[in-house]
Amino acid sequence: MAGRTQFKYSRLYLNNINVSCYAQSFGPLVWEFGEIDATAPMCDEAKGYFPDIASVTPTVVNGIMDNSAASLFTALPDAGVSHTFTAAIGSRAAPVQGDPVFCGRFQRSSSSHGDSGGLTLFNINFDQWDSDYIIKYNKPWGVLLSPNTFYTSPNVNTSTGVDDYGAATALGGYMIYHVLTVDGTATLKVQDAATNVDGSFADLSGATTGLTDWLTATNYGIVALGQTATVRRYLRYQIVWGTATYFRVVLSFVRRTSLQH
Amino acid sequence: MTANTGRTIYKYTDFRVDDSSGTLRSIPINSLSVVGITWDEQDMTQWQDAVKNALPTFPDAPIEISGAFDTSAAATAGTISGSHTVLYNLAGATTPLSLGVFIGIRHTWESGEPVFGITSTAANGYWCSRYTVDVANATYSARFVLYPGSASPAWGTTAIT
Repeated sequence: MAGRTQFKYSRLYLNNINVSCYAQSFGPLVWEFGEIDATAPMCDEAKGYFPDIASVTPTVVNGIMDNSAASLFTALPDAGVSHTFTAAIGSRAAPVQGDPVFCGRFQRSSSSHGDSGGLTLFNINFDQWDSDYIIKYNKPWGVLLSPNTFYTSPNVNTSTGVDDYGAATALGGYMIYHVLTVDGTATLKVQDAATNVDGSFADLSGATTGLTDWLTATNYGIVALGQTATVRRYLRYQIVWGTATYFRVVLSFVRRTSLQH
Repeated sequence: MTANTGRTIYKYTDFRVDDSSGTLRSIPINSLSVVGITWDEQDMTQWQDAVKNALPTFPDAPIEISGAFDTSAAATAGTISGSHTVLYNLAGATTPLSLGVFIGIRHTWESGEPVFGITSTAANGYWCSRYTVDVANATYSARFVLYPGSASPAWGTTAIT
């Protein structure tokens, strides 16, 4: 449902971990551009600015110190590395297809321990986008295509998709994924369509992991399209099964809507 | 209704900005920065002067807003659209935007009542330099500055479009 919401309906994924149950808060989620003063004082009526290079960061994850096997502290203890990050913001319910997401691959500058009201904390502080994973996009806001969902073979997605922009675009974009559990090979991809009916959907060229052995491959990542790639109006996830019999995944797509993004 | 004159309160203020397709939308706000033209001053005071004195340098008109994070569908200006629905495509995009702060005088804004802003053209208008979401409080904040060479926004009494 659209409208206003509360923090408790957000979910957070770092690499192949759902850290929602191990964090008290995160953010703020920042997307900003420095303002380069381009004023011609003897001519212009007022000060004017051009955008500098974008700065994108999720800032901090305020985690709970917890040494359980799947906890933030146990799974991701070290700073000086980067994490694939997706924050899904549900609208007065757990996130579903079409809900907004803030995504990226960010450098983790430090981890810090502290306490809040007596609770021992484990915080992750984020810096800028990881230089080793630069893509030609700066926009972090997209839409959720597959919420944290458990799929079983041979399930094929025949559902309708998401209308995230109201029109097709020809400026590319990127998909970002977190595979949380799987038992073999499969292909994860994004499909698009001009009409929001099952039979109209086809593979969005380039928006695919290819057939991947998820038992050995990295279970999270970003696949970026070319900056002039056409992305039709409606989007959905799709899985092509290999040897895998189950697959839990969070998949999002960020559509580029401006040349400055 | 006809335009009122006199005093008013905040709840009759409507903030409107173009979305990424150039359609003006009203978005929810719960704070608004100083509205109007601000001038830096250049101190001209000399030791021999009887009083400190200054000259205005150059006008600036940044606008900062914040409010509830909202994914409601886009609606005609005058009816609230979702803040995220409008803002999430705007940051950094340099197509000049129309922006207007409509100050209703003890009722919903009517033509004849104050409005500050600018109607965009290819070379005139605002752009969004920052869109930040505080998920913990389910709020957003955004900042808008003028495009280089843009005409100055101004106070008026007719609608920004």
